[in-house]
Amino acid sequence: MLIDVSGLLFYLLAGLAMASALSVVLVSNPIYSALSLALTMLSVSGLFFHLEAYFLAGVQLIVYAGAVVILFVMVLMLFDLKEEKKAFSGGLISFMFKVILAGLFLGVVSSVIGWTFKGTPTPRQALQDGTAQTKELAIRLFSEHLISFELTGVLLLVVLVGAIVLAKAKGGTHAR
Amino acid sequence: MIQQLLPVLILFVVVIAFGTGMILLTTLTGFKVRATQAKENPYECGVAGQAPNSTQIPVKFYLTAISFILFDIEIVFLYPWTLIYRETMPEAGLYLLLSMGFFLFVLVFGLFYEWKAKALEWD
Amino acid sequence: MGADQFEIAVNLLKLIVIFLAMVQLVPILVWAERRGSAFIQNRLGPNRVGPLGLLQLLADAIKFIFKEQFIPANAKPFLFKAAPVIALVPAALAFAAIPLSTPVEVSTFELFGRAWGPYVFEIQTVHMNVGIIYILGVSSLGAYGLLTAGWASGNKYSLLGALRACAQMVSYELALGLSIVGALILYGTFSLNEMVQLQEGPLAFAWFGKQVTVGWLPNWGIIFQPLGAVLFLTAAFAESNRLPFDLPEAEGELVAGFHTEYGGFKMLLFFMGEYGHMLVSSALFVIFFLGGYGIPFLTQDTVFQSLLNNGFSPTVSSLLTSLVFLISFLMKVFFFLWFFIWVRWTLPRFRYDKLMDLGWKTMLPWGLMNLFVTAIAVYVMNRG
Repeated sequence: MLIDVSGLLFYLLAGLAMASALSVVLVSNPIYSALSLALTMLSVSGLFFHLEAYFLAGVQLIVYAGAVVILFVMVLMLFDLKEEKKAFSGGLISFMFKVILAGLFLGVVSSVIGWTFKGTPTPRQALQDGTAQTKELAIRLFSEHLISFELTGVLLLVVLVGAIVLAKAKGGTHAR
Repeated sequence: MIQQLLPVLILFVVVIAFGTGMILLTTLTGFKVRATQAKENPYECGVAGQAPNSTQIPVKFYLTAISFILFDIEIVFLYPWTLIYRETMPEAGLYLLLSMGFFLFVLVFGLFYEWKAKALEWD
Repeated sequence: MGADQFEIAVNLLKLIVIFLAMVQLVPILVWAERRGSAFIQNRLGPNRVGPLGLLQLLADAIKFIFKEQFIPANAKPFLFKAAPVIALVPAALAFAAIPLSTPVEVSTFELFGRAWGPYVFEIQTVHMNVGIIYILGVSSLGAYGLLTAGWASGNKYSLLGALRACAQMVSYELALGLSIVGALILYGTFSLNEMVQLQEGPLAFAWFGKQVTVGWLPNWGIIFQPLGAVLFLTAAFAESNRLPFDLPEAEGELVAGFHTEYGGFKMLLFFMGEYGHMLVSSALFVIFFLGGYGIPFLTQDTVFQSLLNNGFSPTVSSLLTSLVFLISFLMKVFFFLWFFIWVRWTLPRFRYDKLMDLGWKTMLPWGLMNLFVTAIAVYVMNRG
């Protein structure tokens, strides 16, 4: 084909990811913001597919787009955030926060751009077939990174206990 | 590579086009909206709006969603383990069994704690 | 890939045909539901429009197209209109990765003065090598349709219904994911095509180190994982919000839950999403536990060879083999779709707290137990 389909797809997905990420921070209604976050997760999953990291793409869909952002959206729908929105819209302190954060972000972006164009790109290793790659991932997970893996389990337990304690402290786990 | 991604993206566009096309079709061919008081109000079993619009915030939704995230991550770790368990059975079978067993034990303990702490109750 | 125009054209056509087949399944399912429920309830269903009432849903669809499309005052217009489309996407994307039949091998042929090379066309929109992970990921996006619809309706009862539906869907997604881990240990692959191929032939397993073959039973997953199959089926019911788990959209409870404010074609799109989920769940059950498109005691090669020996060209016999296995797959899936309908009109509805109890306190522990027993059994049986 005359067009480079692979490159076109990359630009499409990356553009979508950037547009929805910008929408997350620029839109005022928090629920639109959360839904844009979901779209960002979807585009990043598409980018993982494009990079042939299939398992990672699927996990991104299952965990991020299908669990974490749903938590955000569910909780945001329960609240009426008009007062919070007003508190962050005006005032000197929030303005200073915005300037500092924008400056930090700009610093990160410019350093990444500078680093990308510096030096010679390392040649990409030939990737194995998708399934063999996932098996390789699994083998490494259980050999090199076993301690991290077990610690992740403990971390998940800590989060669970913390969430329950927090919910109890704030008004009980019994439904009202 | 793109052989797997491209059909998915094209299908995504096709589905959205189909849905949007259908909705546009009904908007064009449907009767014009004659807005009456009854149609505009939110539906409450046919009685005009009674209770005020703010409800108490139940915490159980949050707990359910957080528990779901945590156990989902656990299941996601289980999937690559199933890939290599049978294959590397001769040399690493017991090792894999025990390491995953410990991981699952930690999370089963979490489920047990959640159960006992009445965090799974709905009423 | 070597993509030339013929292959691209056929693949595009295949994509559209499979999607439209899923869409067209809705009228058939609704007809089956209305006639089936009528039969179970000892009354006649629709039988005026067309033979046996088959054109009933066509008439309904035409009626829907001409309905007045109003938006309630409190609703957010764009999201209100977008929610049904969002609800349709996950089911369609998930159905794309399901292998419907054996691949069709087309040998070289001459057309328009050019030789078109040998092709292999698979009877699925996309062949994912991480098939089941992709399908689980895309199915979990189904909650967005519910949430958007409930919130964008501007009706607090719709919102509550949507949140409860989402909490239910999310709890049973866990059970769904856990119930197939046992089967995944046995198959050792994520690709759905490989899983179907592993279930060919007679029952064969290791028994304390020795290989045992039982000739008169097929090598299907349900024999190895009965508990997993039951858990999967139950979770599939809850995932698609079907009775006995349909409290979030039950009449008389929260009116119609998250789709209270919807009428006309938008509601039809929601139902397409729901039946699409049913279809994907049935297809997954067939692939995991009932040998997919396979026919017991009949392998793909046998059928292909017998057709070749009967004088058909390789292309045509490959096509016919594919057709035979497609029919086998569809028959199994239709049985399960009927099973969904049958259960709906037989069992009473679960109360919501009992439903959540079932998901967390019963299905999770049983799923984990299934996983433990399977893992230990595989270890013991293979080590002898």
